[in-house]
Amino acid sequence: MKPAPFAYVRARSLDEALGCLVADPEAKILAGGQSLVPMMNMRLARPSTLVDLNAVAELSGVDAAADGGLAIGALTRHTDLVTSPLVRERAPLLATAAAHIGHRAIRNRGTLGGSLAHADPAAELPAAVLALGATLVAAGPGGRRRIAADDFFLGLFATALAADEILVAVETPPHRDAAWGFAEVARRAGDFAIAGAAVAAIPGDVGRSARVRLVAFGVDDRPIRLTAAEIHLGDPALTPDAAAAAGAAAAGCCHPAADVHASAEYRRHLVSVLTEQVVREAAGRRAARREGESRWSQSP
Amino acid sequence: MTTWVGAPVPRKEDARLTTGRGRYLDDIARSGLLHAAMLRSPHAHARIVSIDVSEAERLPGVLGVLSGAEAAAASQPIRPLIPTPTPLRDWCLAVDRVRFAGEPVAAVAAVDRATAEDAVERIQVAYEPLAPVVDPEAAIEPGAPLLYPELGTNVLWHDVLSYGDVDGAFTRADGVLRERFEIQRYASTPLETFGCIAEHDAGTDTYTFWTNDQRPGFTLAILAESLGVPQSRLRLVCPDIGGAFGNKRRPAYLLTCALLARKTGRPVKYLEDRIENLTALMHACNGVMDVELAYRNDGTVLAFRIRDIADEGKNLVSPTQHNLIKLGNIANGYRIGAIRYEPYSVLTTKCPSGANRGIGKPFMCFAIERTMALLARRLGLDPAELRLRNYVQPAEMPYTTPTGSQYDSGDYPATLRRALERFDYRGRRAEQARARKEGRLLGIGLATSVEPAGTNLASYELITGRRAASGSAEAAMVRIEPDGQVRAALGNPATGQGYETVVAQIVADELGLAPDEVHVARGFDSLGTPSLYLSGSYSNKFSVTDVGAVVGAARKVRDKALRIAAHRLEAAPADLELIDGEARVRGVPGRGLTLREIARTAYADVLGLPPGEDPGLESRHFHSNPLAAPVDERRRVRSQLVFSNAAHCCLVEVERRTGQVRILAYLVVHDCGRELNPGIVEGMVHGSTVHGIGAALLEEFRYDEGGNLLTSTFMDYLKPTALDVPDIDVDHLETPSPFTPLGAKGVGEGGSIPGPAAVANAVEDALAAFVIRSLPITPERVWSWLNLAGETGARRTR
Amino acid sequence: MISVRLTVNGRAVERDVPPRRSLAEFLREDLGLTGTHVGCEHGVCGACTVLVGGRSARSCLLFAAQLEDATVTTIEGLTPAAGLSALQSAFRDCHALQCGFCTPGMIVAAHELLAENPAPSREEIRAAIAGNLCMCTGYVSIVRAIEQAAAARRGGSLP
Ligand SMILES: Cc1cc2nc3c(=O)[nH]c(=O)nc-3n(C[C@H](O)[C@H](O)[C@H](O)COP(=O)(O)OP(=O)(O)OC[C@H]3O[C@@H](n4cnc5c(N)ncnc54)[C@H](O)[C@@H]3O)c2cc1C
Ligand code: FES
Ligand code: FES
Repeated sequence: MKPAPFAYVRARSLDEALGCLVADPEAKILAGGQSLVPMMNMRLARPSTLVDLNAVAELSGVDAAADGGLAIGALTRHTDLVTSPLVRERAPLLATAAAHIGHRAIRNRGTLGGSLAHADPAAELPAAVLALGATLVAAGPGGRRRIAADDFFLGLFATALAADEILVAVETPPHRDAAWGFAEVARRAGDFAIAGAAVAAIPGDVGRSARVRLVAFGVDDRPIRLTAAEIHLGDPALTPDAAAAAGAAAAGCCHPAADVHASAEYRRHLVSVLTEQVVREAAGRRAARREGESRWSQSP
Repeated sequence: MTTWVGAPVPRKEDARLTTGRGRYLDDIARSGLLHAAMLRSPHAHARIVSIDVSEAERLPGVLGVLSGAEAAAASQPIRPLIPTPTPLRDWCLAVDRVRFAGEPVAAVAAVDRATAEDAVERIQVAYEPLAPVVDPEAAIEPGAPLLYPELGTNVLWHDVLSYGDVDGAFTRADGVLRERFEIQRYASTPLETFGCIAEHDAGTDTYTFWTNDQRPGFTLAILAESLGVPQSRLRLVCPDIGGAFGNKRRPAYLLTCALLARKTGRPVKYLEDRIENLTALMHACNGVMDVELAYRNDGTVLAFRIRDIADEGKNLVSPTQHNLIKLGNIANGYRIGAIRYEPYSVLTTKCPSGANRGIGKPFMCFAIERTMALLARRLGLDPAELRLRNYVQPAEMPYTTPTGSQYDSGDYPATLRRALERFDYRGRRAEQARARKEGRLLGIGLATSVEPAGTNLASYELITGRRAASGSAEAAMVRIEPDGQVRAALGNPATGQGYETVVAQIVADELGLAPDEVHVARGFDSLGTPSLYLSGSYSNKFSVTDVGAVVGAARKVRDKALRIAAHRLEAAPADLELIDGEARVRGVPGRGLTLREIARTAYADVLGLPPGEDPGLESRHFHSNPLAAPVDERRRVRSQLVFSNAAHCCLVEVERRTGQVRILAYLVVHDCGRELNPGIVEGMVHGSTVHGIGAALLEEFRYDEGGNLLTSTFMDYLKPTALDVPDIDVDHLETPSPFTPLGAKGVGEGGSIPGPAAVANAVEDALAAFVIRSLPITPERVWSWLNLAGETGARRTR
Repeated sequence: MISVRLTVNGRAVERDVPPRRSLAEFLREDLGLTGTHVGCEHGVCGACTVLVGGRSARSCLLFAAQLEDATVTTIEGLTPAAGLSALQSAFRDCHALQCGFCTPGMIVAAHELLAENPAPSREEIRAAIAGNLCMCTGYVSIVRAIEQAAAARRGGSLP
């Protein structure tokens, strides 16, 4: 189980990496290598050049944005998403999703950008980013462009990134009064999900109610918005009753495939169960938070 | 005098293994070493039309390529352990036909493994696909595609073995319970994969193999025969072995490397990668069993009728063993008057089935213990009570089962009672009832088992009608070196069981030393280690044969040392004792001779030896367990020799909405006779039980209809992790076997046998309205059972 | 060939490596550090786990060429010059190994855990080693050993 031969470039800057992609159309970016290298070892991926981003310092790190959101470098490791106080505060959904990935050694290497670019339909981070309504920043030979998460995942392992583009950052929206939930069913802890769901209520502009974004993963060729279920979830309606309705509607939104771990039917069933569960979770968080806030405001 | 046997002595191996100083196959360096890779069939069944290796040979870094045709010209077919009715010829590489996806077709030796894999991609093979046969029941049908047309069938063995008045028992019965069970393919998947290095010394025309093969005796015989080289010119060395569980043998790989080594003039290494390991080494045999149980309404079990189809895949080395070995536990711990067993051993176009922890017996136990659970349900009896009514009683020991197994010792009722008490069985039943009221699904599963140990190869006579290999035996050596230091070696290469420690404990006791003062050779080396065709790590045999070999060797050398000392001290040997490395005259303080002084006499001052005594202080002992006997006139046989027993209790919770199963508590009470090292024993119990849990809940080699393996990586073939298994609670009884030198019995297969049944019984108990007929119990299947149960429940109320 | 300079177990190392040489192969074959084992080469089994920059990583999923300026610690680097570390002796005392093939990777994972969390719960221990497969022990005694080592390192004994 050894990779086919390839050339290796340790890029020192984003521009150098972009240049390599232009120079060799069969080149591939190497980030954490936790998806790419197993595939190379099995010779299921055979890039002619491997462009290693790990030395490009500007691509990692978590920054607080002025609007209360975050700008997270594509090379940020899953472990850092889990442990970063900033991420836990401003995008707890992302931190929780990252904690569900594989095991510690995998999370120590695997990157946010790598997971999004890889776009495994059962992966946690693409679903979290979609639920958050994040914006993905790609750099290409012609400069940078910003892609809404809704427009990024195009299908099985397919994204809006062009072959010569590199994902450089992810911007998550402000999350002050956020309610969120995340759950999945996997065969074992750390496995890719058989099915999962994520929900985030993103605060709207001043005076407007939050948008609730509900996402399922592992049940279609990409993480998907459960729009038919979201209808039941206007902000004030983030209630247990609405959870049941959303759960019931969720199954109809997805087109699961069968594989060795589960049938399409079971996945569809799980989507309903998990949707209901994450909405309840979000509602519970919202209630707890409001209770906490009111107690706070009442205290002298 | 201290006795070391029975103490939880820390293992001698662990100082090196915890520090990364172990020496496993892949750690062995040889100068000029080449690395082999194999081209494997992408088809489950196909004719090989042509092979072109020229492009591979031209690749820089490639030193040799071997095709099946070349291998067939340069070597003899591999001899099976159990001969088939029509001799079938099978070489180390596929010759005209491939019979499972993953079967080796050609091999390359190159400067490194990556280059060898590059070359493998350049070999051109034209295949003409043939119809695969994946399902063993379909393989039996007339007109099924045949793996070996010359055989005229895919059935390697079919027989009806009838013991006692089976039909009478069924006529007299109050009722008959009929059920069909299936077991999937799974494997213990040792963490280190299987491999070897072969080196040919052209000067002496000798071959050396380094390999983690767990059965060197058998493998050496095959190598000699297939290579056409006298066994006197073969050397086989086993280093530290990273687990084996029955899986680690495939003489074909050693042969392939030997042929490549001969061809290139360089040592050649082949080590499976994980996909090759999962696809092509060995799977526990899958199968289908139809069980009929005749009972009386008071719960007495009268007789079993069992039809058992074993799916051998393309197993030509040891087919039929998956049926035959079940005779060892077909009666489990119960007093059953009559048994009819109808075995089918069937070839299919899948990975060879083979020995895997417990081999066949987990399925046998699953079927019996599931049937007992269903009978308890049918009769409205507590499953524990039903078992207690049927156990062989301690006073009946040794007890002979209808098929001829002799249960040597044990107290089955006491084992279960201890388990029920420690598990707080009543309390947990009450907890279960409370939980059910809250809508939670808790289930309690019991499974009890006998654990046979030591294989008597004579039982194969049942199949072939004649005796080839027979009995159960092992060899050991103990040597007091010229400086008085002690060294021991065993024909069984340890594969993780800590034999260096246990052998040292045994020898220390015999020679009056501490285990630290006994050096036990790592692994196996046919040049220095005494061995037999029967030597190796298999069949739970350590306590049955190996201990006898070690004790025998140690006593022989001790007796000689005492004779020499007696002569020097002018005392009678009977008046001497060996204590703290010294032969002392009993009751005469200060009169003694150290082992060093005795050894000096034995090796150097040979004129000081007693008259007629040969120089040297080394002994070899070949121990055959006296219980092994030929098949008798009623076709009864002691297929295995000594029997441990256990009771497993499992508490699960089933998540109603998702079907997920969580094990909340797990208890094992077992009795393996005298525990030679309780620390090691406990580890064996934990480990084997987790193999059972893995088979019950997670592991499955799944094939599609075309015979392609769908679960060929550790991403898809799911092993239990630390989060999937509970803290297993272990307690034990200690009923020594009267038939082994130190009273020890088998413990290696342990929980792998009743584990799957215990978990299944617990899940079924939680669901209450469904019969579990197959494994693994995936969340999806539980969910679908809950749905079915819901529907039938609804129908019933309507 | 790519040239790399890195620190392995405190020693500076400089080598030319083919791009496709994994860190595991590099450690085992180029540096002779055979304590790091290879069990699957696709990231699941954990036998090859080493520390890179103090964090656990799969050496089968890293190319040696990537490790310029990196600090790598293997089981050999976690072994005292004489005797055994607290984890190693706890593994021995608790019979937390059988074949020993998983042990170096287990100890690396446990080392990372105890460096961050000196008093982990059983559940935390199980989670920390869930990425390391052991086919022999059933994990029970490994969990015990890590508990015992944690207690020993804290200078106390088990409750
Ligand atoms: C045992 C194991 C278990 C795992 N379990 C899970 C799990 O439960 N859930 C889960 O989601 N994942 C899991 N993973 C995968 C892991 O999360 C990966 O880290 C992740 O999917 C890919 O991230 P990476 O940084 O490792 O990317 P790489 O493997 O380096 O790259 C993946 C792909 O993305 C491309 N790429 C990487 N970075 C960029 C970029 N910045 N711009 C453009 N393209 C880029 C690469 O060219 C490649 O095609 C597991 C992996 C292993 C080995
Ligand atoms: S060998 Fe690296 S994780 Fe298995
Ligand atoms: S001790 Fe053998 S794999 Fe863990």
